[in-house]
Amino acid sequence: MKKSFINLFAVLLIITVTTNGSAQKLITKTGNIKFQASMPTYEDVSAENKSVSAILEQSTGDFAALVLIKGFRFKTALMEEHFNENYMESEKFSKATLKGKISDLDVSKITNTSKNFTLKGDLTIHGKTKPVTLLVKVSKAANGVNINGSFEVKPEDFDIEIPNLVRKKIADKVKIEYNFSLIK
Amino acid sequence: MKRKKIAIVVAALLIAVSGGIYFYYGFLFKEARNIETEMPDFSITAAKLIEDYSSNPEKANSLYLNKTIELKGLVTKETDSVIVLENSVFCLFTQKITQKLLNNNTVVKGKCIGYDELFQEIKLDQCTINKQNN
Repeated sequence: MKKSFINLFAVLLIITVTTNGSAQKLITKTGNIKFQASMPTYEDVSAENKSVSAILEQSTGDFAALVLIKGFRFKTALMEEHFNENYMESEKFSKATLKGKISDLDVSKITNTSKNFTLKGDLTIHGKTKPVTLLVKVSKAANGVNINGSFEVKPEDFDIEIPNLVRKKIADKVKIEYNFSLIK
Repeated sequence: MKRKKIAIVVAALLIAVSGGIYFYYGFLFKEARNIETEMPDFSITAAKLIEDYSSNPEKANSLYLNKTIELKGLVTKETDSVIVLENSVFCLFTQKITQKLLNNNTVVKGKCIGYDELFQEIKLDQCTINKQNN
Protein backbone atom coordinates (compact mmCIF):
# COMPACT_ATOMS: atom_id res chain seq x y z
CA MET A 1 0.00 0.00 0.00
CA LYS A 2 2.70 2.38 0.98
CA LYS A 3 4.69 1.56 -2.14
CA SER A 4 1.77 2.28 -4.42
CA PHE A 5 1.32 5.60 -2.67
CA ILE A 6 4.93 6.47 -3.36
CA ASN A 7 4.47 5.41 -6.97
CA LEU A 8 1.41 7.61 -7.28
CA PHE A 9 3.31 10.48 -5.74
CA ALA A 10 6.17 9.95 -8.18
CA VAL A 11 3.76 9.92 -11.12
CA LEU A 12 2.12 13.11 -9.88
CA LEU A 13 5.52 14.72 -9.47
CA ILE A 14 6.52 13.75 -13.00
CA ILE A 15 3.27 15.14 -14.39
CA THR A 16 3.71 18.48 -12.63
CA VAL A 17 7.34 18.70 -13.71
CA THR A 18 6.55 17.99 -17.36
CA THR A 19 3.61 20.37 -17.49
CA ASN A 20 5.77 23.01 -15.88
CA GLY A 21 8.44 22.30 -18.43
CA SER A 22 6.14 22.71 -21.38
CA ALA A 23 4.75 25.94 -19.99
CA GLN A 24 8.25 27.38 -20.12
CA LYS A 25 8.50 26.97 -23.86
CA LEU A 26 7.75 29.74 -26.29
CA ILE A 27 7.14 28.68 -29.85
CA THR A 28 6.34 29.94 -33.31
CA LYS A 29 5.62 28.13 -36.55
CA THR A 30 5.26 31.20 -38.70
CA GLY A 31 8.60 32.90 -38.18
CA ASN A 32 10.05 34.99 -40.94
CA ILE A 33 13.44 34.75 -42.64
CA LYS A 34 14.55 36.96 -45.53
CA PHE A 35 17.83 36.84 -47.28
CA GLN A 36 19.48 39.32 -49.54
CA ALA A 37 22.34 38.41 -51.87
CA SER A 38 22.06 41.21 -54.42
CA MET A 39 24.94 43.12 -55.91
CA PRO A 40 24.51 46.76 -56.79
CA THR A 41 23.37 47.35 -60.42
CA TYR A 42 22.49 43.67 -60.90
CA GLU A 43 19.07 42.16 -60.48
CA ASP A 44 17.61 41.63 -57.06
CA VAL A 45 18.54 38.27 -55.50
CA SER A 46 16.38 37.86 -52.45
CA ALA A 47 13.78 35.54 -51.02
CA GLU A 48 11.46 35.23 -48.08
CA ASN A 49 10.18 32.34 -46.01
CA LYS A 50 7.20 32.83 -43.73
CA SER A 51 6.92 29.37 -42.23
CA VAL A 52 9.96 29.09 -39.98
CA SER A 53 9.62 27.05 -36.79
CA ALA A 54 11.36 28.09 -33.60
CA ILE A 55 11.38 27.12 -29.92
CA LEU A 56 12.77 29.07 -27.00
CA GLU A 57 13.12 27.51 -23.59
CA GLN A 58 12.52 30.48 -21.30
CA SER A 59 14.29 29.19 -18.23
CA THR A 60 17.55 28.16 -19.90
CA GLY A 61 17.65 30.33 -23.03
CA ASP A 62 17.96 27.29 -25.28
CA PHE A 63 16.87 28.20 -28.76
CA ALA A 64 16.20 26.12 -31.86
CA ALA A 65 14.97 27.17 -35.29
CA LEU A 66 14.26 25.17 -38.39
CA VAL A 67 13.55 26.44 -41.89
CA LEU A 68 12.48 24.38 -44.87
CA ILE A 69 14.44 25.46 -47.94
CA LYS A 70 11.60 24.79 -50.37
CA GLY A 71 9.59 27.42 -48.55
CA PHE A 72 11.75 30.31 -49.77
CA ARG A 73 9.92 32.36 -52.36
CA PHE A 74 11.68 34.39 -55.02
CA LYS A 75 10.31 36.88 -57.49
CA THR A 76 11.07 34.75 -60.52
CA ALA A 77 10.63 31.02 -61.08
CA LEU A 78 14.05 30.59 -62.63
CA MET A 79 15.85 32.06 -59.63
CA GLU A 80 13.88 29.84 -57.27
CA GLU A 81 14.74 26.81 -59.39
CA HIS A 82 18.46 27.61 -59.45
CA PHE A 83 18.47 28.28 -55.73
CA ASN A 84 16.84 24.93 -54.99
CA GLU A 85 18.54 22.76 -57.56
CA ASN A 86 22.02 24.20 -58.08
CA TYR A 87 22.94 25.97 -54.86
CA MET A 88 21.03 24.60 -51.89
CA GLU A 89 20.28 21.14 -53.36
CA SER A 90 17.09 21.15 -51.38
CA GLU A 91 16.04 17.68 -52.53
CA LYS A 92 18.98 16.34 -50.56
CA PHE A 93 19.21 18.98 -47.83
CA SER A 94 15.62 19.97 -47.24
CA LYS A 95 16.22 22.15 -44.19
CA ALA A 96 18.52 24.57 -42.42
CA THR A 97 18.69 24.70 -38.64
CA LEU A 98 20.07 26.81 -35.85
CA LYS A 99 20.50 25.33 -32.39
CA GLY A 100 21.99 27.30 -29.58
CA LYS A 101 21.71 29.13 -26.32
CA ILE A 102 20.93 32.75 -25.59
CA SER A 103 23.12 33.66 -22.63
CA ASP A 104 21.86 35.56 -19.59
CA LEU A 105 18.31 35.63 -20.86
CA ASP A 106 15.74 36.44 -18.19
CA VAL A 107 12.37 36.64 -19.88
CA SER A 108 10.74 38.29 -16.87
CA LYS A 109 13.04 41.28 -17.26
CA ILE A 110 12.39 41.77 -20.98
CA THR A 111 10.63 45.02 -21.83
CA ASN A 112 9.01 46.50 -24.92
CA THR A 113 12.26 48.10 -26.01
CA SER A 114 14.48 45.48 -27.56
CA LYS A 115 17.63 44.45 -25.78
CA ASN A 116 20.67 42.77 -27.29
CA PHE A 117 21.73 39.28 -26.30
CA THR A 118 24.33 36.86 -27.56
CA LEU A 119 23.35 33.56 -29.05
CA LYS A 120 25.99 30.89 -29.32
CA GLY A 121 25.19 27.85 -31.34
CA ASP A 122 25.48 25.73 -34.44
CA LEU A 123 24.16 26.77 -37.80
CA THR A 124 23.47 24.00 -40.31
CA ILE A 125 22.93 24.88 -43.95
CA HIS A 126 23.34 22.59 -46.97
CA GLY A 127 24.19 19.70 -44.66
CA LYS A 128 27.18 21.48 -43.18
CA THR A 129 27.38 22.68 -39.58
CA LYS A 130 29.33 25.71 -38.38
CA PRO A 131 29.53 27.25 -34.93
CA VAL A 132 28.19 30.81 -34.86
CA THR A 133 27.86 33.67 -32.40
CA LEU A 134 24.96 35.95 -33.19
CA LEU A 135 23.62 39.16 -31.76
CA VAL A 136 19.89 38.78 -31.19
CA LYS A 137 17.39 41.47 -30.25
CA VAL A 138 14.76 40.40 -27.78
CA SER A 139 11.70 42.41 -26.86
CA LYS A 140 8.44 41.77 -25.10
CA ALA A 141 5.27 41.00 -27.04
CA ALA A 142 1.75 40.02 -26.13
CA ASN A 143 1.90 36.53 -24.63
CA GLY A 144 5.56 36.03 -25.40
CA VAL A 145 8.68 37.60 -26.84
CA ASN A 146 9.92 38.89 -30.16
CA ILE A 147 13.33 37.81 -31.40
CA ASN A 148 14.86 39.45 -34.42
CA GLY A 149 18.15 40.41 -35.93
CA SER A 150 20.37 39.78 -38.88
CA PHE A 151 23.67 38.15 -39.72
CA GLU A 152 25.81 37.38 -42.70
CA VAL A 153 27.03 34.08 -44.05
CA LYS A 154 29.42 33.18 -46.80
CA PRO A 155 28.11 30.56 -49.23
CA GLU A 156 31.52 28.87 -49.48
CA ASP A 157 31.55 28.24 -45.72
CA PHE A 158 28.67 25.84 -46.29
CA ASP A 159 30.09 24.22 -49.41
CA ILE A 160 27.73 26.10 -51.69
CA GLU A 161 29.50 26.64 -54.97
CA ILE A 162 28.62 29.60 -57.12
CA PRO A 163 29.67 29.24 -60.77
CA ASN A 164 32.00 31.87 -62.20
CA LEU A 165 29.38 32.91 -64.72
CA VAL A 166 27.09 34.35 -62.06
CA ARG A 167 29.78 35.09 -59.47
CA LYS A 168 29.52 38.84 -60.07
CA LYS A 169 25.75 38.87 -59.63
CA ILE A 170 25.67 37.24 -56.22
CA ALA A 171 27.08 38.88 -53.11
CA ASP A 172 30.05 37.23 -51.32
CA LYS A 173 28.19 37.63 -48.08
CA VAL A 174 24.53 36.79 -47.90
CA LYS A 175 22.58 38.86 -45.44
CA ILE A 176 19.98 36.92 -43.48
CA GLU A 177 17.27 38.72 -41.55
CA TYR A 178 14.97 36.92 -39.15
CA ASN A 179 11.95 37.78 -37.10
CA PHE A 180 10.20 35.42 -34.70
CA SER A 181 7.19 36.22 -32.53
CA LEU A 182 7.32 33.47 -29.99
CA ILE A 183 4.24 32.79 -27.91
CA LYS A 184 3.17 30.32 -25.27
CA MET B 1 9.91 39.50 -106.41
CA LYS B 2 10.97 42.36 -104.17
CA ARG B 3 7.68 42.30 -102.36
CA LYS B 4 8.16 38.61 -101.53
CA LYS B 5 11.59 39.30 -100.09
CA ILE B 6 10.22 42.04 -97.83
CA ALA B 7 7.46 39.73 -96.66
CA ILE B 8 10.01 37.06 -95.74
CA VAL B 9 12.18 39.54 -93.85
CA VAL B 10 9.20 40.92 -91.96
CA ALA B 11 8.03 37.42 -91.06
CA ALA B 12 11.51 36.46 -89.86
CA LEU B 13 11.72 39.60 -87.76
CA LEU B 14 8.33 38.97 -86.20
CA ILE B 15 9.30 35.42 -85.29
CA ALA B 16 12.61 36.59 -83.79
CA VAL B 17 10.96 39.32 -81.73
CA SER B 18 8.15 37.12 -80.43
CA GLY B 19 10.69 34.41 -79.66
CA GLY B 20 12.75 36.96 -77.77
CA ILE B 21 9.75 38.18 -75.80
CA TYR B 22 8.78 34.61 -75.02
CA PHE B 23 12.31 33.84 -73.80
CA TYR B 24 12.42 37.01 -71.73
CA TYR B 25 9.07 36.70 -69.95
CA GLY B 26 8.38 32.99 -70.27
CA PHE B 27 11.77 31.82 -69.11
CA LEU B 28 14.18 34.40 -67.69
CA PHE B 29 11.66 36.49 -65.80
CA LYS B 30 8.84 34.06 -65.45
CA GLU B 31 6.82 34.73 -62.34
CA ALA B 32 7.32 32.35 -59.45
CA ARG B 33 4.98 29.39 -59.23
CA ASN B 34 1.39 30.04 -58.45
CA ILE B 35 0.10 26.99 -56.66
CA GLU B 36 -3.48 28.19 -56.70
CA THR B 37 -3.76 27.77 -60.46
CA GLU B 38 -1.73 24.55 -60.68
CA MET B 39 -3.33 21.17 -60.97
CA PRO B 40 -2.44 18.94 -58.01
CA ASP B 41 0.04 16.12 -58.62
CA PHE B 42 -1.48 14.13 -55.78
CA SER B 43 -4.92 14.12 -54.30
CA ILE B 44 -4.86 12.16 -51.05
CA THR B 45 -6.05 12.26 -47.46
CA ALA B 46 -4.01 14.05 -44.81
CA ALA B 47 -3.82 10.79 -42.87
CA LYS B 48 -2.11 9.07 -45.82
CA LEU B 49 0.47 11.86 -46.07
CA ILE B 50 1.19 11.64 -42.34
CA GLU B 51 1.53 7.87 -42.57
CA ASP B 52 3.97 8.13 -45.50
CA TYR B 53 6.09 10.69 -43.68
CA SER B 54 6.17 8.78 -40.41
CA SER B 55 7.06 5.46 -42.02
CA ASN B 56 9.80 6.73 -44.34
CA PRO B 57 10.50 10.48 -44.44
CA GLU B 58 13.09 10.25 -47.20
CA LYS B 59 10.88 8.29 -49.52
CA ALA B 60 7.98 10.62 -48.77
CA ASN B 61 10.19 13.62 -49.54
CA SER B 62 11.17 12.19 -52.90
CA LEU B 63 7.51 11.64 -53.63
CA TYR B 64 5.90 14.83 -52.36
CA LEU B 65 8.55 17.53 -51.91
CA ASN B 66 7.91 20.66 -54.00
CA LYS B 67 4.80 19.08 -55.48
CA THR B 68 1.34 20.57 -55.49
CA ILE B 69 -0.86 18.32 -53.42
CA GLU B 70 -4.48 18.27 -52.48
CA LEU B 71 -5.26 17.01 -49.00
CA LYS B 72 -8.50 16.00 -47.42
CA GLY B 73 -8.70 16.00 -43.67
CA LEU B 74 -10.14 17.28 -40.43
CA VAL B 75 -9.19 20.81 -39.38
CA THR B 76 -7.82 20.54 -35.85
CA LYS B 77 -6.45 24.07 -35.46
CA GLU B 78 -7.11 27.33 -37.18
CA THR B 79 -5.55 30.78 -36.98
CA ASP B 80 -5.45 33.83 -39.27
CA SER B 81 -3.22 32.31 -41.89
CA VAL B 82 -2.73 28.72 -40.78
CA ILE B 83 -4.80 25.57 -40.80
CA VAL B 84 -3.62 22.35 -39.18
CA LEU B 85 -5.05 19.15 -40.59
CA GLU B 86 -5.24 15.99 -38.44
CA ASN B 87 -2.94 17.59 -35.81
CA SER B 88 0.19 17.27 -37.93
CA VAL B 89 -0.15 18.82 -41.37
CA PHE B 90 0.65 22.50 -41.18
CA CYS B 91 -0.87 24.53 -44.05
CA LEU B 92 0.22 28.14 -44.48
CA PHE B 93 -2.12 30.32 -46.50
CA THR B 94 -1.18 33.35 -48.57
CA GLN B 95 -4.40 35.10 -47.75
CA LYS B 96 -6.38 35.41 -44.58
CA ILE B 97 -8.76 32.58 -43.98
CA THR B 98 -12.30 33.90 -43.82
CA GLN B 99 -14.20 30.64 -43.46
CA LYS B 100 -14.64 29.01 -40.08
CA LEU B 101 -13.42 25.49 -40.64
CA LEU B 102 -12.47 24.23 -37.21
CA ASN B 103 -13.55 20.60 -36.66
CA ASN B 104 -14.77 20.33 -40.23
CA ASN B 105 -13.51 18.17 -43.01
CA THR B 106 -11.98 20.21 -45.77
CA VAL B 107 -9.82 19.98 -48.88
CA VAL B 108 -6.66 22.06 -48.93
CA LYS B 109 -4.35 22.51 -51.90
CA GLY B 110 -0.75 23.61 -51.38
CA LYS B 111 2.91 23.02 -52.07
CA CYS B 112 4.66 20.49 -49.87
CA ILE B 113 7.86 22.05 -48.50
CA GLY B 114 8.97 19.26 -46.20
CA TYR B 115 9.00 17.77 -42.73
CA ASP B 116 9.57 19.91 -39.67
CA GLU B 117 11.36 17.86 -37.02
CA LEU B 118 10.98 20.45 -34.27
CA PHE B 119 7.22 20.01 -34.14
CA GLN B 120 6.93 16.74 -36.07
CA GLU B 121 4.76 18.32 -38.70
CA ILE B 122 4.55 18.24 -42.46
CA LYS B 123 4.50 21.72 -43.90
CA LEU B 124 2.65 23.08 -46.91
CA ASP B 125 2.75 26.65 -48.14
CA GLN B 126 0.75 28.81 -50.57
CA CYS B 127 -2.37 26.95 -49.55
CA THR B 128 -5.91 27.54 -50.70
CA ILE B 129 -9.19 25.93 -49.70
CA ASN B 130 -10.56 23.88 -52.54
CA LYS B 131 -13.98 22.89 -51.38
CA GLN B 132 -15.72 22.09 -48.17
CA ASN B 133 -17.25 18.73 -47.51
CA ASN B 134 -19.26 18.90 -44.35
